[in-house]
Amino acid sequence: MDYNAMLMGLLGGLMIGTAAAVFLLVNGRIMGISGIFGGLVDGTGWGNWGERAAFVLGLVGMPALLVLWWPTEAHVTDNWVVLVIGGALVGLGTWLAKGCTSGHGICGMARLSPRSIVATLIYVGAGFATMLVMRHLLGVI
Amino acid sequence: MRVLVSLLCGALFGAGLLVSGMTDTVKVQGFLDVLDWNPVLAFVMGGAMPPMALAWAIAARRRGAVLGGAFPAMPPARFDRPLIAGSVLFGMGWALVGFCPGPALAALSFAGPGGVVFLIAMGGAMLVAKLLSRPQSRRTTMEIRALTDIYAVSPQIDPSDLAAIKEAGFTTVIDNRPDNEIPDELAGHQMRQAAEALGLTFVVNPLIPGDFTEANIVVQLRACVESTGPVFAYCASGNRCSIIWAMMHAGNLPVDDLIATPAKFGYRLDHLRPTLEALAVKQTQVPGVTGTL
Repeated sequence: MDYNAMLMGLLGGLMIGTAAAVFLLVNGRIMGISGIFGGLVDGTGWGNWGERAAFVLGLVGMPALLVLWWPTEAHVTDNWVVLVIGGALVGLGTWLAKGCTSGHGICGMARLSPRSIVATLIYVGAGFATMLVMRHLLGVI
Repeated sequence: MRVLVSLLCGALFGAGLLVSGMTDTVKVQGFLDVLDWNPVLAFVMGGAMPPMALAWAIAARRRGAVLGGAFPAMPPARFDRPLIAGSVLFGMGWALVGFCPGPALAALSFAGPGGVVFLIAMGGAMLVAKLLSRPQSRRTTMEIRALTDIYAVSPQIDPSDLAAIKEAGFTTVIDNRPDNEIPDELAGHQMRQAAEALGLTFVVNPLIPGDFTEANIVVQLRACVESTGPVFAYCASGNRCSIIWAMMHAGNLPVDDLIATPAKFGYRLDHLRPTLEALAVKQTQVPGVTGTL
């Protein structure tokens, strides 16, 4: 077991949870990335685009600065077919379900919202199944 | 100020994703791989949960956010098709690439062209979904079709129609359409909020075509009896609101009238004559109801 990775996971998780907590208590908003980003893309969130754009800027900018001291790899696949299909599935799926790992997984689960619990169980389950089929049965990813 | 807080929260979130290793698709895919499981993501969720649960507990004791505005209400426990199907699709895409929206943005600066392709595909799908959904979500046509002086029916309405309904003198609005037929912004709980904000009484009595129950009749009747003024009922076309009207008056008004009145607005109830006649026998005396509703 890689205890260091788990400790860093816990620490990073605390930072993520704190960001979500501040965003809720100070701005009164759910820190759901698919919603914040999706609202900018599809026009439904242009009423408060400044808040959304600033959040995305911080989200993209901070890691961009940190990697200068903390070299990190994303290990993104170079199979563009998988990237396009995966991206489209994530975009459509989170748009339909109105949330992703941050909105449903963290914010919704933390308040025991039944919709979020169901959504999280389903997308994690679908992820397990997809990984099993695509990696171990078909060897695509 | 809101913008600054957003920037800082975004930055802290991004830093947390980097520190936790969630910007590394190998770790995320490892979590989803039951045959070679990597538990880090579970620790990230475990770390994120306590601060957020605490925030909800604090929010429950406060009237609103520090910078103003109410806290978001808990969505009702409706497990509709978009939630289920959307979560399945999201889980599939998440496993394929190892990115969900947050980490994909956080890794934009170092993930190379693949990260950009993923984000464009993700944003594109959201935009396409929005464009395709528009036609069915905002095409409602309110029409006040008064079956009697105190009972009108209408096709599906929109929250913005409620002011005109109140203006026309109605005091009770009945939603006869099951929520699973309509987009979320027209769902019963959304309409209720808008109606009650205007001081209208709002009653939800979902009618499933071909399967009207006695309980449906009782709910509709009670809403009419208890209303202080005229009642406005809506469904997809107004047809179901007319049928339930005829059913609750069976035994009270001649069946011919029960069929002729809705027919003035194009609602054909002729095929229901046997049903209405049987009902008329059954409920010749409806307790507490006399005259025309």
